[in-house]
Amino acid sequence: MSRRTILLHAKDNVATALTDLKKGEQVNASLDDISVDVTLREDVSFGHKYALRDIAKGEEVIKYGLPIGKALNDIRAGDWVHIHNCRSERYGPHDLKREKNIIEGSKK
Amino acid sequence: MNAAAIKKILGYLRPDGQLGIRNHVAIIYTVGCSLVVATKLHNLFPVGTQLFGIPSGCRLREPPLRKAVALGKHSSYAAALVVGLGCEGTEAYMVAEEIAKSGKPVEAIKINEEGGDLKTIEKGSRILTRLLQHASLAERSEMSPADLIVSTECGGSDATSGLAANPVTGAAGDLLIEAGGTYIHAETAELMGCADSLAARAVNDEVAHNIREAIVEAERRSFESGEFSWGYGNTLGGLTSIEEKSYGCLGKSGTKPLQGVLHEFERPPGKGYYIQIEQREAGSFGGDPEGVNQFAACGAHIALFTTGCGSTTGGLIPVIKVIANPKRMQLIEDNADFDATPIIRGEKTIRVMGEELYKEILAVAAGKVTKSEIYRHYEA
Repeated sequence: MSRRTILLHAKDNVATALTDLKKGEQVNASLDDISVDVTLREDVSFGHKYALRDIAKGEEVIKYGLPIGKALNDIRAGDWVHIHNCRSERYGPHDLKREKNIIEGSKK
Repeated sequence: MNAAAIKKILGYLRPDGQLGIRNHVAIIYTVGCSLVVATKLHNLFPVGTQLFGIPSGCRLREPPLRKAVALGKHSSYAAALVVGLGCEGTEAYMVAEEIAKSGKPVEAIKINEEGGDLKTIEKGSRILTRLLQHASLAERSEMSPADLIVSTECGGSDATSGLAANPVTGAAGDLLIEAGGTYIHAETAELMGCADSLAARAVNDEVAHNIREAIVEAERRSFESGEFSWGYGNTLGGLTSIEEKSYGCLGKSGTKPLQGVLHEFERPPGKGYYIQIEQREAGSFGGDPEGVNQFAACGAHIALFTTGCGSTTGGLIPVIKVIANPKRMQLIEDNADFDATPIIRGEKTIRVMGEELYKEILAVAAGKVTKSEIYRHYEA
């Protein structure tokens, strides 16, 4: 069976979906001797990220072992992590309504 | 053609000692006013010519002029025809003279000296006939991978760009460098947050300083203008921030030591891994084709081009389009040259696919035409 998720670095607190994942699914992300199982609390599309563990508001979201932004609110393990709950100190799309409409639209 | 069967690259030896992998005649317009006549000449001789130029008005603009001259000297061109109007600041004979310093035949015509479109087209056609015959007699010389300069561009990024397509180009770049070759990428605006890791790979303190400066400058410019390298496709594809996109872009860099930072369309002074600083306002439009052409202006023979969203653009040098997104690959296979989706499906490793991509690079160097060439995606 092909991989469903990818974990890029031991420090990461998010993993990336390699296929469209559904709310309620139990998914595994592994790298070397790390293996994390979570139940998804939301749909997570191909290429998008979900939290491997709870991430507190203000805490760094880590991918590739490096910070990609900070949590805008408390994120729970299994949550979809994107522009609605993670913000870059430098730049990320901040027009949430417009961006979210595009993303929601793409799911249909 | 079986990429694995490539044993020998027969290049074109230019008078300045450069070795080219393609053999065209350049048609160069020196001002927006000569674009139409230059385009008609290009359309009369579509086989064997490429068109580019200086998209400006009366005033001499330095960046596009320098780029056009650097491109004119590129190893792909056996000869060049410069087409001017006659009253512009970017004087056609001067452009021709600069390019002719490379030793190749370069001729120039001015529309208002020749007496209008028809006479210029007639004279230009005779010149092109002569130059095309000259090109056909170019001396051939065997090339090794060490003679190659390969560049990497990414356009229309999604999460698969950072996960697979970029790292696979980095892996191929590593192999080219191990064979003695040269590998460059650019896009400092997409290296935000990467200064530390790149500085740590610099061959000396000066190079470390230069790459830090370049990234800080790109960042400063972005904050000042409020413009970041970001499209909605990035958000849609799952990228959350410029840092996330940048870390993915860093995958293009491979693992070799950073030899230097290239400015002003200079050729890499040595072999190995370089980062090029893109020049602003040097082209008629920004974006990826301009990036590819700026690599060409630095002497690159080939551009690898990773895309997740499915960008179809090319440039003046052969573009090897690398796609790792399985859905996009299905949709846009016609424009793809290298299928990196087995990495995303977990069927092949980045290392194995890096070797396959390296073989593809050698095949293209040996003459295999890419989709961008077949479809004449010679955006410039």
